Amino acid sequence: MSSSVIPRGQVDLVDFVDWSGVECLNQIGKNPIANALKQGYRDDDGLHLESDADEQLLIYIPFTQVVKLHSAVITGPEEEGPRTVKLFANKEHMGFSNVNDPPSDSFNISADNLKGKPVTLKYVKFQNVRSLTIFIEDNQGGGDVTKLQKISLYGTTVDTTNMKDLKKIEDH
Amino acid sequence: MVLEATMICIDNSEWMRNGDYAPRRLQAQADAVNLICGAKTQSNPENTVGLLAMAGKGVRVLVTPTSDLGKILACMHGLKIGGEMDLTAGVQVAHLALKHRQNKKQQQRIIVFAGSPIKHDKKTLEAIGRKLKKNSVAIDVVDFGELDDDDGKHEKLAALVAAVSNNDNSHIVPVPTGSSALSDVLISTPIFTGDGEGGSGFAASAAAAAAGGMSGFDFGVDPNIDPELALALRISMEEERARQEAAAKKAAEDDAKGEKGAEQASSSNDATMSEAGNTSAVAIDDKRRNLSDDEAALLEEALAMSMDVGKNKSVDIADTDMSDATTEDPELAHALQMSLQESTKEPVSQSDMSKVLEDPSFVASVITSLPGVDPNDPSLKDLLASLEGQSETLKKETDESKKDGDK
Repeated sequence: MSSSVIPRGQVDLVDFVDWSGVECLNQIGKNPIANALKQGYRDDDGLHLESDADEQLLIYIPFTQVVKLHSAVITGPEEEGPRTVKLFANKEHMGFSNVNDPPSDSFNISADNLKGKPVTLKYVKFQNVRSLTIFIEDNQGGGDVTKLQKISLYGTTVDTTNMKDLKKIEDH
Repeated sequence: MVLEATMICIDNSEWMRNGDYAPRRLQAQADAVNLICGAKTQSNPENTVGLLAMAGKGVRVLVTPTSDLGKILACMHGLKIGGEMDLTAGVQVAHLALKHRQNKKQQQRIIVFAGSPIKHDKKTLEAIGRKLKKNSVAIDVVDFGELDDDDGKHEKLAALVAAVSNNDNSHIVPVPTGSSALSDVLISTPIFTGDGEGGSGFAASAAAAAAGGMSGFDFGVDPNIDPELALALRISMEEERARQEAAAKKAAEDDAKGEKGAEQASSSNDATMSEAGNTSAVAIDDKRRNLSDDEAALLEEALAMSMDVGKNKSVDIADTDMSDATTEDPELAHALQMSLQESTKEPVSQSDMSKVLEDPSFVASVITSLPGVDPNDPSLKDLLASLEGQSETLKKETDESKKDGDK
């Protein structure tokens, strides 16, 4: 990951994403959320996440354990990359109808961010996160299609027991 | 077996009094709803179906998504006709009802029965369609009743479905007026078959029950539900067809030159029998005794079938076949003699037969797999010989059968 620097003390939370529950509304079938989130896929420049009917995207990411979010890296192309992003912590099953509820955090993505500069989040709001919903309201160019290359989340875990890890230790 | 929550939007406007779909458009819709509910629940027991009426005093949700079919049927009974259908409001309320479904893991689907003219314009419908797509809702539209295209009803509905469709998950089904009921027409559409195997199986059996005909699957039997029965039916159908074909051929042709045909048939018998090595070879041997050109064709067909299947049933059927057709044809014997002369020279004797029979384990295994076959049957001994699958056995068998024929 040459394009981003992991902040000190934080880990890339991609390992703690509960893939079975990841959902994305308004994505195009052939360019799904996995292209932007999954290890390997997200670094592949040929693969990206693309919106379908209009430029908005609603991404739901549950975690396998409770985490604290510190910062995020969201990259994409200059014109079609996202601009206004709102984050909602621990809100299940959001739809486009309730995206106007007060978010846990919201920010605008700048051109630097699109190249890989991390966005620091309001840490105090993300102390106890079981799931994260990312709402992308519009894109840089204002067109009908939003594209995302990569979404990386950085933070720390709150050291809850992950049952899968327990099993691994017993195998020794 | 997609896990799905479905909202069915019924048109209960004044246009539904028309009797062009027996007995009345509203009843036709009720039957269709009945079938859809059954199909959905069968394809996945966790599926839920809800009902709403688009006309009357206003859009009204009659049943929220539930897996209880009784509730839905009861509601259909009490439905009153009146007013005008409001498609956009109906679809939006359906979407809302789906949003509040209990099991959020279910996919969302709306089925609309559009029987009356649509007063909204295409743009509005397309906008609604896009909104549905954004929220990953699929839609199926049944275009029936008022079919005139003056106000572009079909066009508008097609535009709506196109706007919603994501990887072809949405469909529009035009149902013309006619003698067949609405539900029968729907059964063969993606609305039912799109449910996957379970749904289409239900639909197929429902169709068979309702119309008394075959739809979807042959013989009205779902191979998934009852594979053995379906298979047996298929085989007997094929054999019947083959038998009729052979009978036709026999009637058309006279007796053979025989020679070439008989020999080729014999060698093909052996080749195929050695490959197959199964019960139907007994029947084949019976057939070979009465060899002639046209019967050779029948024989080859039967062999091909038995190779695919290898069931006892075909043996029985074939046995009855050949006993009917048994002849002591002098020309047949002549043909066999000729073929005998032309095959590769090998001393034919009983010793060859005994060699085969000296392999007791093999014999035993074959015999035990043949219920209802007499082990002392000379035809079975020929069978055993053929299972060795060499050209020598060809000669042996033709000799045997010739001997039997001469007896």
